[in-house]
Amino acid sequence: MSQEQQSGLLLLGVGGGGCRLAASVLSSYGSGLRALGVDTDALSNREAAAGGLNCLLLGGALLAGHGTGGDAIKGRMVAQEDMRNLLPHLQGVRTVAVLACLGSGTGGGATPEIIKSLHDMGIATVCFVTLPFAFEGEARRKAAERVLPMIEAKADSMVVIALDELFSDAGEGLLTHAIQAAEGLVAAGLTLLWRLLSKPGFIRLDAERLHAMVLKGGNARIGFSSSEGPNRAEQAVETLRACRLLRSGDALAKANALLVGILAGSDLRLAEIGEVMGKLRGVCKSDCNIEMGTVLDPRYDGRIELVALAFESWTAAVMPESRKDSPPVLEPPVVDAFPIQSGNRKNRGKSSKLSLNASGRGKFQHVEPTINDGEDLDVPTFLRRGITLER
Amino acid sequence: MAIPPIAALEIGTTRTVVCVGETDESGRMKITGVGSYPTTGVRKGQVIDLTQARVGVESAAKQAEKMSAVSIWQVLLATSGGHIQAAVNPGMLTIRSADRVVSKEDIEEVSENAQTITLDNERQVLHTITQSFTVDDQPGIVKPEGMRCKVLTLNVMAVHGLKSRIDNAVSVAKSAQLEVSDVAFSGVCAALAVLTPEQKRNGVVLLDLGGGTTNYIAYCNNVISAVGCIAIGGDHVTNDIAQAFNMTQSRAEELKRAEGCAVLDPEASGRRVVLPAQVGFEERMLSCKALNTVINARMDEMFCVLRSKLDDAGVLPHLGAGMVLTGGGAYLRKVSDLAHRVFGLPCRIGLPVNVDGVDTVEQPAALSTAAGLVLYGQMTFEDRGLFSPLRNLFKGVFRR
Repeated sequence: MSQEQQSGLLLLGVGGGGCRLAASVLSSYGSGLRALGVDTDALSNREAAAGGLNCLLLGGALLAGHGTGGDAIKGRMVAQEDMRNLLPHLQGVRTVAVLACLGSGTGGGATPEIIKSLHDMGIATVCFVTLPFAFEGEARRKAAERVLPMIEAKADSMVVIALDELFSDAGEGLLTHAIQAAEGLVAAGLTLLWRLLSKPGFIRLDAERLHAMVLKGGNARIGFSSSEGPNRAEQAVETLRACRLLRSGDALAKANALLVGILAGSDLRLAEIGEVMGKLRGVCKSDCNIEMGTVLDPRYDGRIELVALAFESWTAAVMPESRKDSPPVLEPPVVDAFPIQSGNRKNRGKSSKLSLNASGRGKFQHVEPTINDGEDLDVPTFLRRGITLER
Repeated sequence: MAIPPIAALEIGTTRTVVCVGETDESGRMKITGVGSYPTTGVRKGQVIDLTQARVGVESAAKQAEKMSAVSIWQVLLATSGGHIQAAVNPGMLTIRSADRVVSKEDIEEVSENAQTITLDNERQVLHTITQSFTVDDQPGIVKPEGMRCKVLTLNVMAVHGLKSRIDNAVSVAKSAQLEVSDVAFSGVCAALAVLTPEQKRNGVVLLDLGGGTTNYIAYCNNVISAVGCIAIGGDHVTNDIAQAFNMTQSRAEELKRAEGCAVLDPEASGRRVVLPAQVGFEERMLSCKALNTVINARMDEMFCVLRSKLDDAGVLPHLGAGMVLTGGGAYLRKVSDLAHRVFGLPCRIGLPVNVDGVDTVEQPAALSTAAGLVLYGQMTFEDRGLFSPLRNLFKGVFRR
């Protein structure tokens, strides 16, 4: 049994964009990565398969491999129909990292259904989703935002990457280049994170602590940077701080927990690790729980890459028992820094995890809300009060 | 002049009800026909689908026609919703006569002043309710005629709502070939049917627990002191259950009716309910405690919101006769226990006791609004002066 199979991790790309991302991660990660793609479009399936990704066709009977045509309802229906086809690939899987580009029919429609099914099977999910570029149109943006609460409701952890935030100057490049570059960046960050989770390096994280943080940390922001040269450590931290995905350092400053991954060649010096961590500690709050891990790969000689996951709604309660001596979190979670307000994460796994936004309103979704003291009373009371229900 | 039969239409969030009432020789109103049909196309008291809502109106009207043996073509309409608001408007008058004695003309003039209410164009006044007079600095005067003073003040409470929302409900009735002669606020109607004169004198608050909305009306010293509506109702309880246990709204409604309880009942603790298999769903068990936790959380919150509104209106210390609950939501088990706990007032379920003919109806409290609307029609017809301005009603309302 390979190390990948032992780790119980599976990378799952959903839809055309998700499959491309999974294929990119696969190619930059190297052999041994357990990955799978699902899509409704036979053509893009073939493309992903050419990149080495094992791809399943969703909704073959209904859509005949022609895709959903951007219809998320079709995406959801075929996911419900064909979920059983995924089961043979989930043998021994404990955690699935789902990659999807929202705003499309399959990515937007099938992703929530797949995550829900995985959740029902007791498989933990970390969901990395991208929001479309602004130039892709308002309709796609809205379609993507509609899906977010549904994913948030069932995923153990969700990282939203707004493609617009990947570039500070989106004006000049070609559309295809922009999308490729965006996917390249996201894939690079995910690869590093994946390595951290599956192939820890010289300084490794305790597996339980890592899982506690990633799987129960709630919504997170991801950022990555890369640098070369003599001052590579300092430059990499500066680039990371400037990363728009981390709101130009704001997310770091507000994070209650931070996971830092350092990917470098065998020439990585201890002083460089110290420099990276020292600078990041200076940026974060004094009580921020920072965890760090390294991945050493000779192919990265002369280079250093950083990936950071900033959890703003993380609380000490989600860590394993042994870590309960860590200082209490003084500052409440900052909700405005993230597009989705997180639910009561403390009760995850014990109570219903429906989110507090539109999806929780049920039959009142399309009527004028009843607001009292700033609270939307159409959202179930037990959810807003964080009441745990006996099952 | 004999009062012709009166028909009342309530397009509720969960049920559409049509009531026909006729007065006997003593002037007592008797409900002679009731039609009731499940509503679709209405959320939180607001019409969201005219066509669907029309089906309920047509069906309920047909049933009521059959039962009462009258042909209905004109109705009174009850309205509710979060848009309903009330505001007290004071009208003032300087007494000009040399002897400073308040005359009948002075009272009419101050009444006119008080009813001159400036509202946004999109709002419509449903009722102007006379509260009490203040003679110089002496408040709480019921009949000021003949008293001496310099300034006479009259407080009038205006109950108003959004014209567009009211018009939508009127359009539904029109599409069902029913002419709407007048529109009244559901809370006021329910009070007419349920509250007794003694309760009003001692001070009482009525909560009309509807499907999509909850109306409240408080009487202090026989005067309507607070009126309002919050857009939360039994539908919210059902929706919460559906969301908590991943089931359809209809199944959640059945579960609420069969097993729901407003308080956490220690007797039910540990008990589990069997949800029989339905198409596509296997049989499953559900904890009674979890179900009642969901219901209790919603009802407790709803009562807390209402308590805060009544507290703001300053009526809570003046409710000697306590609280009366009516409407379909009043049949939720132990709802009065919870209300008693939250409001700190004695609490009971109120039935439409001011009309006859509802004894045989299942869950008569659910008929309070429609029955009260019939009474409202009778009162305005007789011009007893409680609600003004009096509209010209019921010119040849029914054909036998």
